Amino acid sequence: MITFLQLVINGLALGAAYALVALGFVFIVNATGAVNFAHGDLVMAGGYAAVGLGSLAQIPAVYFLPLVAVIMFVLGVALALLAYFPLINRPPSTVFISTLLCGIILQNAFVVLFGPQAHAAPPLLKSGVAHFGEIEISVQAIGTMVVAAILIASQYLLFTRTQIGRRLRATAEDRQMAQAVGIPAFALIAATFGLGTALAGIAGALLANQFFVYPTGGIPLSVYAYIAVVIGGWGSIAGAVIGAMIISLFQVVVSAYVSYAAATGLLYVTLLLIFVVRPQGIFGERVQRRA
Amino acid sequence: MLSWFLSGIRLPLVLATAALAADALFFANPYDMRILTLCGIYALLVLGFQFVFGHAGAVSLAQATFFGIGGYITGIVATHFGAGFLVTFPLSIAGPVLLAVVVGVPVLKLEEHYFSLATLGIGLVVLLLAIQWSDITGGTNGLPGIPSIDLAGLVLSDRRSVLYFVWGLVIVGCLISYQVTRGLYGQAFHLMREDRVAASALGLNIAHLRFAAFILSAAYGGAAGALMAHVIHVVSPENLDLALMVTCLTMTVIGGRTRIAGAILGAILIVHLREWFRVLENYYMIAYGLAALSVLILAPYGLVGAIERLRAMLFGRSPGPKPPSVSEQAPQAAPAGHYDHILAAENVTLAFGGVRALDGVSFTLRDGEIVGLIGPNGSGKTTLLNVISGLYVCDQGQVTFRGRDITGAPAHLISRRGIARTFQHIHLVDDLSALDNIALARAGIDGAGLLKAISTVGHDRLLERARRIAMAAAERLGITSVVMEPCGGLPYGTRRRVEVARAIATGPALVLLDEPAAGLNEQEQLDLAERIKTFAADGITVVVVEHNLVFLAALAERLICLDRGKVIAAGLPDAVRRDPAVIEAYLGLGASEPIPIAAGAP
Repeated sequence: MITFLQLVINGLALGAAYALVALGFVFIVNATGAVNFAHGDLVMAGGYAAVGLGSLAQIPAVYFLPLVAVIMFVLGVALALLAYFPLINRPPSTVFISTLLCGIILQNAFVVLFGPQAHAAPPLLKSGVAHFGEIEISVQAIGTMVVAAILIASQYLLFTRTQIGRRLRATAEDRQMAQAVGIPAFALIAATFGLGTALAGIAGALLANQFFVYPTGGIPLSVYAYIAVVIGGWGSIAGAVIGAMIISLFQVVVSAYVSYAAATGLLYVTLLLIFVVRPQGIFGERVQRRA
Repeated sequence: MLSWFLSGIRLPLVLATAALAADALFFANPYDMRILTLCGIYALLVLGFQFVFGHAGAVSLAQATFFGIGGYITGIVATHFGAGFLVTFPLSIAGPVLLAVVVGVPVLKLEEHYFSLATLGIGLVVLLLAIQWSDITGGTNGLPGIPSIDLAGLVLSDRRSVLYFVWGLVIVGCLISYQVTRGLYGQAFHLMREDRVAASALGLNIAHLRFAAFILSAAYGGAAGALMAHVIHVVSPENLDLALMVTCLTMTVIGGRTRIAGAILGAILIVHLREWFRVLENYYMIAYGLAALSVLILAPYGLVGAIERLRAMLFGRSPGPKPPSVSEQAPQAAPAGHYDHILAAENVTLAFGGVRALDGVSFTLRDGEIVGLIGPNGSGKTTLLNVISGLYVCDQGQVTFRGRDITGAPAHLISRRGIARTFQHIHLVDDLSALDNIALARAGIDGAGLLKAISTVGHDRLLERARRIAMAAAERLGITSVVMEPCGGLPYGTRRRVEVARAIATGPALVLLDEPAAGLNEQEQLDLAERIKTFAADGITVVVVEHNLVFLAALAERLICLDRGKVIAAGLPDAVRRDPAVIEAYLGLGASEPIPIAAGAP
């Protein structure tokens, strides 16, 4: 029982990290409707930023996390200028491909800048493990969960309770109409890419302590974020968090009973079965396509 | 013959092909031959990918999976059982096709991003299997020692013969691709990709088209994978992974996603780009990514598309085919048996969330009458047309057409039974000529299909007949002088007529026209009204959704008025116009005058 509980705790900790990864992805989906397939690589970029800053000054990550966010915001705006705005009037699949290509450019830039080996970033506060009875959990995992909870709540409030959030949603729904009613759509889209990338960067900085960063490490993260958002229902923040938890459930809990590869395979098979039964995602609503 | 060479970009293509062939035949050293062989294999892979990604417009991420499966089947059967190419090659095509058949039905139903992820998921499952099932697949190391191509004893052991053999198969692949896309069937893909709603309303079965494209891409992928296994003598998980998928996608985007020349150009360019950029060492993948991104941004239709546009800019558009000199009336779909009303709607109800767009709508139509469907904005007129034509499924109620229940039937079947429609917002393919837009009305009804397209020799008779019927429809709408122009450049009123002509070309028993007079001046309206009357004279029942009562007064024998999803009046135009409920709906409470049909009329 204790082992199972420990597994669930570990699963939640990993799920929180994945939720953080999915959060930036769903942010861009909500404001532009575009799938950013460079997202996982941007998470890695955040991790590398933390590695670089950490090697300059031996201080806990919490002090330079804002700086990582700022650097990543700039990178996100650059991504929008390079891979989104030139293609804004083209089919959505074009942006999918352009971000995929940007991901390749990033992966190889990592090799050039940091080499092919894996790096670890400094911990958020300190390394070490906290004990709750017989359950143990690393301080970094607790920090990740707290940061994830704060950012998930803020994003939810941003989209549902603020004027900016409503404007972002209006822009995603119909950009031209949004512009017609005076919403500065282009600035908002650029800011969205910036913020979504900053979220990716924070996720990367936190993940880079426990799980390391390496040039191709972003590819599975892009896939996980994509899966989490699809399982949870396109654009739903709560759904993306649940989707992230389901993925980590497979990777931590299921893989304790079968092999890791079998657990991953089961995750994909489950995903495909979900598609067969509910093509709109578990929490998505079926709507008739407007003719 | 000379004009054939000079039209389009045929001349540069012929010259480039000749240069490539000369290089392969006379100048290539063994290393070049190996590179050119790889180009041919990738060209096959991309030709296949073009079906699903280019023609069907779906971003499949399973193309590398099909390639890998083909390679593994060749590897396993050749090394474990010692079978020759004539056995392994068909099996390597059949395997991926089988997978595509099994997963295709559920996966192809998914919308855009979900479809991409599902195909990615399939690829990842297959990749895991290839790594884990190491007794058979060799695990991460793969299967080495795959023999050269063995054609019943004739072993292709030298690089030159392998090069010729692979490119021979590329030519076969090009021919099949050409056959599939050149005729009416290929244009059906064009319409489906640009406008799914219009395609299903014209009787095209979108699920069938997407399925066919997916199967074809799997077959080509398997063939390319099998060849790769023979050429490099090993098959490993690298043949299945995402990096290969990205390469395939990049080649397709750079070359051009719907052009055969694009597949070949993309494959040759990317393979060589990687060779040339190798001197950049670690930077070469960055340069490669940037180059691909630039083409994606600067040349939306790939390099071949860019060359075509450049040619059109420098030398003008090459004259297209001449319009057909004879025309042929569209045959009308025959009724199944005796019926009382051509169309009967009974208690049709449809809610969007909390809004009751249609609330218990019932009415009947007689053969050959012209009925105006009126009502204020948002009263449910277009929604009603969408339910009748099968684009929406109603929550309750029944629609009967010529005595058969069509409630909930898919749009393409309803269209094939004899209901045609136009749209409030124009649904035409901008870069096809008006004639070909109209001709597309025949693709679904005349059963343009994959096998028929592949086995067509010489002119596509389906397309020729469709164009003759389109010409007759164009004559009925008075637009013969512009039929060879691309639709995108035509004036608004003309495009509306092209849509009406397209509806008539299906040979309908019932046409639903959604605001056909919008944007026309009075003279054009009168002219259109006269033409619509001739449809009714031929026995076609016509429903016209309009706000414009002047236009309807000259046209409709009966009016049906909707308000907030309910029929509030139906009958002779004059009676409906004077109906208090109609007046209230249009002019507000307290008004007592009948709705004027024209300025100054009582």
